[in-house]
Amino acid sequence: MNAAMYTQADKRTDLETLIGYIRPGDCLAIGGGLSSREPMAALRALIRAGTGDLELIGSAHGIDVDLLCGAGLVAASAESYVGFEQDFGMAPNYRRACEAGAVAVRDSCCYTLVQQLRAAIAGLPFMPIRSVKGSGFLDLHPEFKTLECPYTGDELILVPALRPDIAILHAQYGDAHGNLHIAGPPVADRLFARAAKKVIATVEQIVSTEELQRLGVTVPYFYVAAVAEVAYGAHPTACYPFYGYDRPHTAHYHTCASAGAGRFEDEYLHRFVHGCPDHAAYLAAIGGSATLERLASWKDGPDAWMKLYE
Amino acid sequence: MNEPRVDRCSLGEALIYRIARTIEDGILAFHGFGSPLVQLALHVAKRTHAPNLVLVAGATYAVNPMPPFLAPTSNDWVMDRGAECRLDIEELFDLAAAGRLGRMFLSGLQIDRWGNLNTTRLGTESLKLKLPGGGGGCNLACDARHLTLWTAAHRAVSDGRGARRLRLVERCDFITSPGHRAADGRTRKGMGLVGNGPDWLITELGVFDFDESGHVRLREVFPDTDTELVRANTAFEFPISEPVATTPLPPAAVCELIRSLDPLRIHERELRPEDRSRTFSGPDCRPERHA
Repeated sequence: MNAAMYTQADKRTDLETLIGYIRPGDCLAIGGGLSSREPMAALRALIRAGTGDLELIGSAHGIDVDLLCGAGLVAASAESYVGFEQDFGMAPNYRRACEAGAVAVRDSCCYTLVQQLRAAIAGLPFMPIRSVKGSGFLDLHPEFKTLECPYTGDELILVPALRPDIAILHAQYGDAHGNLHIAGPPVADRLFARAAKKVIATVEQIVSTEELQRLGVTVPYFYVAAVAEVAYGAHPTACYPFYGYDRPHTAHYHTCASAGAGRFEDEYLHRFVHGCPDHAAYLAAIGGSATLERLASWKDGPDAWMKLYE
Repeated sequence: MNEPRVDRCSLGEALIYRIARTIEDGILAFHGFGSPLVQLALHVAKRTHAPNLVLVAGATYAVNPMPPFLAPTSNDWVMDRGAECRLDIEELFDLAAAGRLGRMFLSGLQIDRWGNLNTTRLGTESLKLKLPGGGGGCNLACDARHLTLWTAAHRAVSDGRGARRLRLVERCDFITSPGHRAADGRTRKGMGLVGNGPDWLITELGVFDFDESGHVRLREVFPDTDTELVRANTAFEFPISEPVATTPLPPAAVCELIRSLDPLRIHERELRPEDRSRTFSGPDCRPERHA
């Protein structure tokens, strides 16, 4: 059972303290999805802190998981997808770490994950599902059991509750109490928040509780242990309405990652993670205000938006 | 950018049109992520023969969006602009599990004769190549009422060690998404799956349906491909629906629609470079405007 309630009046903290909630060996649910709203600044701080041996769970991810794999912090992955879609293709660090055996491959599938999180949310030991039959996932997950349904006689697959140690989210807005407002697709963030033992969050802006209530509470405060205001905290993924996806930076990332572990270490990790003592130094390294203004230009209309991706 | 002449359709446009023709009006259909050909096929279907399609966008779960252009990644606010309403991840998958997802679209790095797909790994014993993974493909392959499979990489390529790597394989190294029969011959019904499985496999070389036994069967080829070429690039023997037809090509209005929906030609990233220059005369071929 998950009895913890996080009720402090003021949960604001800095990025380094926030990351301190993550312990080596934790099962980590990273919020956002693909090229949007990944908690990238928090993950870079996590790499600087060197907290490793992590088990990752999630649905559709890309640079977030790939970066942690490239930094050697991941012991196992139960993600459903890790890649850069048609934009850049496979995730080079993730692929390398899996193929080398450094990351245990425990791939899952979106609805299987949803059902496992729902079991944790409802305090149940498992949830039933039909839709993994005939697939290789049954061999990959010996913990899945079969049961004859007592009502219909059908054979069902039981998937056990999945309770991440930590959900790490990036939201557009939060308040000091820890309430979060997510604009646009929440992906699996609400499920992660409800299923995890605790939530830590970065937000673009901390606003008053009145303002947050006006925007709407996506994740209630009592799930959230700590919150840090980190503007541009999802870069190079998008966090609309503040900024779009930084495709040129991601292209550079992918080129470095594709060139091998050594080149990735020298040309990306050293320059953008270890070489940046804090988030302000990172924002300078990615090109400062010129880059940030370019990423905000999506607001000028479809032509400007399209220009970001040419 | 490589926009074909107005009186010619590109291979990408032909594939989008052919995928669109598998979509029934009035159903709920979902495109996943990383699949611009399918994203565009749904928008083409909705704007032509399937106006009552409930179009759910992958990654954003937006319903009936009107994106101003196709973005290079799927979870981008570009892709959910103008949506009538929005689902979340659990609602979409619940709809599928309850039998309300009419059609889903899936691909794989390996596809076998029964429509099983592998997007997880190459290598059966040792892991030779870790693929990105199937997303929700496994669950939706089981639950969707119907499936359209597609690949723009049917043609075999050299593996760099003198052998050819085939996309349509004798056996998948891992079954990410089940087709009509398991490797041991069990049927979908025997496995207790509720969806009806794949009924189309559309590739850049030809179009297959599935026969009564659940085996792929060649039905159509492109104007520049033939049965022999398909056979030479497929690891297994397959039945043929005689006479093999030439796949229907998009009318000019559909090509123009695709070009307006995807001004960045994102869908061409799904095609191999040598396939991007393949063009065909459309059914309403007309003189070039800019003569």
